[in-house]
Amino acid sequence: MSERKKVLIVDDDPDFAAGIRAILDTQYDTVVVHNPKDGWEALQKDRYDLLCLDIMMGRGAEGVMMARKIRKDKVLREMPVLIITGLREQIAFLFPGQAVHPGFVPVDELVEKPVEPDLLLQRAGALIAASEARQGR
Amino acid sequence: MTEQRRRVLLIDDEEVVLDSCLAILEDSEHDVAVAASGAEGLDKARAWMPDLVFVDLKMPGMSGMEVLEKIRAFDPTIVCVVFTGFATIASAVEAMKHGAYDFLPKPFTPDEFRTMIRRGLEQRAVVVERTALRREREALRENFAAIVSHELRSPLAAVQQNLFVTIRELDGVVTDEQRQRLQRMSSRIADLLALVNRWLRGFSVDVAPLKEGFRPVAISGPVANAVESAQIEAVRKAVDVIAEADPAAVVMGDEGALTEALVNVVGNAVKYSREGGSVVVSVGRQDGMVVVSVTDSGVGIPAADLPRIFDAFYRGHAAESGVAGAGIGLALTRRIVEVHGGSISATSDPGRGSVFVIKLPALDSPVPGQEETPPQQVSKGEAG
Repeated sequence: MSERKKVLIVDDDPDFAAGIRAILDTQYDTVVVHNPKDGWEALQKDRYDLLCLDIMMGRGAEGVMMARKIRKDKVLREMPVLIITGLREQIAFLFPGQAVHPGFVPVDELVEKPVEPDLLLQRAGALIAASEARQGR
Repeated sequence: MTEQRRRVLLIDDEEVVLDSCLAILEDSEHDVAVAASGAEGLDKARAWMPDLVFVDLKMPGMSGMEVLEKIRAFDPTIVCVVFTGFATIASAVEAMKHGAYDFLPKPFTPDEFRTMIRRGLEQRAVVVERTALRREREALRENFAAIVSHELRSPLAAVQQNLFVTIRELDGVVTDEQRQRLQRMSSRIADLLALVNRWLRGFSVDVAPLKEGFRPVAISGPVANAVESAQIEAVRKAVDVIAEADPAAVVMGDEGALTEALVNVVGNAVKYSREGGSVVVSVGRQDGMVVVSVTDSGVGIPAADLPRIFDAFYRGHAAESGVAGAGIGLALTRRIVEVHGGSISATSDPGRGSVFVIKLPALDSPVPGQEETPPQQVSKGEAG
């Protein structure tokens, strides 16, 4: 096996982020930040194989803003983004039958808070594998 | 005590009454205006926004009763007192039925008039405060989703996430009993989260954007989905759910949302049915509308509860009868139906059952009263 993949977690709730990290730590190198600004800086400094992104941060849906910014970035748009949000109800209601808002990053996947450990590991693994296959590695 | 000057409007066609009232109020701390006819009084009430209005019942032209009704319709927080000539108790009672706060029989003494002014203004203060409280409650309701999502949901999710991890990490370390205890904690948190989610769906879901994705939907689809989703409960209670769908009934709408609306109504019908009862879902067309009626033979809804069952959080007698629910389903259903340009209503015979009727504008339906529609006319509106 190659070296451990790197996952960045952006979530403004430290306790929730710790719960996610404890699960992902078993298989990945994880870094946790608590706001989109620090998240963006982390993405500039290091290369990550997966971003776990909270939607409702700060004064509103700042996670959406960050996801849009990532999509516009030539390098970062290749990175898979796993949305972890408490708002699935609303998103699913507005976009029935779709995993997530069509305006998001095309590689998005969405899971609802709280997330079962097995489901989280499975989704994270699938996104990283799909991304590697896409990039021909 | 009152720092702000209060406004009193007097409407009477008898000049002598107005003059003597003005004389009584000359040294008072209130602003007073007078009008010599119903029409003039109504105009002044609308322009000047008085706190308290005295209106004579017997006036030529617009009657006092009409003035009273129109002022109440314009602003129900304006307190109205009627002057009554002679001993016309019957008309005074009639006026109070139309919203008058009290009546003052003529002739009255200056003290009686002052006392009535004081009482009327006290009533005004009470009404204004009550209205402000009601508005505050409405605003709170609208912000409820935001409050719930941040203040309640986040900590619950954080606790649950850490319980998930802890249970996993302690697998094989703790005793079975300890593991079960942890799992009970987790399952109680899950229940709480599910409850919060139901609230969220009722309040934060903005139904207006659904309109952008409207397309023709055969109503039989959502009906079938709703019946299917009610089946588990129906089987448990041996309730027979009969659906009579009309495949030609088509509306412009959002299939998912319409399903959600019907799931709530059909689900309720089953929930409030007696064991072994039946629920009939029928689809028909009437006056350019697709009409879905859901009839149950259940416990029914008390007449006092009927007007409020579509209000959010209202649970009426359901709360006492122990049927689970958050009082959200019908409120959400109404919002969905209304965004489709439709309406929902309910009638009930307590003890015998209820009928819920959803009406939605039919697509390509013939103009009412015109049974035969040429095909070219039908296809005209069907661009999408």
